[in-house]
Amino acid sequence: MPTGFGWDFKTQYMKNYWEANDWREWDFQLVIYEKVNDRIVRITLNRPDKRNAFNDRLYEDLSAAMHRANDDPDVRVVIICGAGRGFGAGHDLSSPEGEETPPVHPSINPTLQDYYGFERRRCAKYEDIMDYPKITIAQVHGKCIGASQIFTAMCDITICAEDAQFGIRGFGSQLHGLTEWPVWPLWSNKAYAGRALTEMSGAEAAELGFANKAVPADKLEEETLRWAEALSQLPSEAVAVTKEWMNGMLDIMGMGGTQRAHFHAHLALQYVHFRPDEVNLYKAKKDKGFKGFLEDRAKTATPDANK
Amino acid sequence: MSTIIYEKIDNIGYVTLNRPEELNAMNDQMLAELDALLPQLEMDLEAKVIVFRGAGKDFCAGQDLTGVNTHEVLSEPGEHLTVKKRMEAERRRNRRWETIFNLAKPTIAQVHGHCLGTGCYLAMVCDMTIAAEDALFGDPLLRMGLLPHMPLWLYLVGMKRTKEMLYTGCYINGIEAEQIGLVNKAVPRDELDTEVERLSRGIALLPCDATAPAKDAINSVMEARGLGACWRFTNNMQLVMQQRKMLPEEFDFFKVRDKQGLKAAVEQRDRPFKKFCEER
Repeated sequence: MPTGFGWDFKTQYMKNYWEANDWREWDFQLVIYEKVNDRIVRITLNRPDKRNAFNDRLYEDLSAAMHRANDDPDVRVVIICGAGRGFGAGHDLSSPEGEETPPVHPSINPTLQDYYGFERRRCAKYEDIMDYPKITIAQVHGKCIGASQIFTAMCDITICAEDAQFGIRGFGSQLHGLTEWPVWPLWSNKAYAGRALTEMSGAEAAELGFANKAVPADKLEEETLRWAEALSQLPSEAVAVTKEWMNGMLDIMGMGGTQRAHFHAHLALQYVHFRPDEVNLYKAKKDKGFKGFLEDRAKTATPDANK
Repeated sequence: MSTIIYEKIDNIGYVTLNRPEELNAMNDQMLAELDALLPQLEMDLEAKVIVFRGAGKDFCAGQDLTGVNTHEVLSEPGEHLTVKKRMEAERRRNRRWETIFNLAKPTIAQVHGHCLGTGCYLAMVCDMTIAAEDALFGDPLLRMGLLPHMPLWLYLVGMKRTKEMLYTGCYINGIEAEQIGLVNKAVPRDELDTEVERLSRGIALLPCDATAPAKDAINSVMEARGLGACWRFTNNMQLVMQQRKMLPEEFDFFKVRDKQGLKAAVEQRDRPFKKFCEER
């Protein structure tokens, strides 16, 4: 799978594991890679104590697992799911020193060009999921927030629990981070940015076309496997061409541009100055710790979609 | 016998696909007659609204897959054609859809029974679709290793639903089609004629000199959203798909059809998905 890094800005923090085929010998720490049968692979995000929040290692493990599944000619369908209480809590906001997962840890002290490299790489990461040559199915239960939601949006098919919760919270109350709102009209003509729901349940996601089907939580795994088994019967090369056709049209419709705009806005967000009355992750973390930040943010967040 | 019937009642032009024994499947003759008719529809000042519909029990089951007189409908594997010839054929196919899409008068698809593959495409390129609640929509081309080739899928129903419809190939009824935005309205089967007549008579009251530029303005928005480039891109991807080599263990629709007949081939094509789609 090409990772599209050819023209990226090479910075001191540039990481590219895949050029050297490192994924072949990859030691999975935070994902479980299993073959359900010859044709179906299940990748489980396995960081339940952190609600499967993406740190650098988790995303690298996930990428390596997807490379491995792509390299296996028998595999037709890849299921991605989360261990523990939910699919994923988005980016790990408690990013330790040296991590490039947003928010970038201040110890990196990046230049604008470094940030540019991070953002372009993030953009390419998600586009790579979109352009994965095999069928991807996101199996979503519990919370699926922020980057985790964007990840599932990039998968071909989303099957979710009715009480799953999709949503975007972000760094500060006024910003809600950045979302994939600009591309909502590409998901469904029932959903558009003006609707601006920050959170929605699995049942609502299915109704709006973000997810293909919502089922009771205890039926989720069975239902996802049913889809995977049916879709694994399709001729694999024909699927790859068809997916390329659909994604190419999405690019013509502006998907590539919206991705880029989104991640460039993300870049700008790194330089936001918070007003005194605004919830500021960086300041709150320094003054009150990460828990203190979460408490402050919860006071201003939108209500839980399931309540 | 003519495979397309064109008749006018008051100010409304009715185009009826007329191969009822074959579920109005599109063959070369039907496409030739359609191609001859389209310029007439454009020129006919008396027809203010065009209704596309199917004779018999179905709207249209899609491409005629028999392989007899279907050269224009479907490029068969093993056909030795130059890339340029293939390209020309793809362009003719898409131009036909574009021509209907851009007819300078309102168009309505009146859909009952099967509305599959290219039949579904015909309904999609019409301005509005009114369907019977029990009509069946679907696009199972991928099951045969053929590229589904209607860009409007993405525009009408969005990414996830498009992928679902094209990967699963499952059929949905009129009610579901209305829910996902594939059709404008689903009505009980016995009210379909009345509903379409009501709608078309209403539209026919509008000054046709106004509806033509209004439609053009809407379609220019679709062009700005990339539809024109999508048609072209689709042509190219069709050429790519035609170069696909079948893996030895893969189901070969055309081989089975030639050895065991069309019925057996369709049955084998749909068998792996039957249970899944029934339980959908």
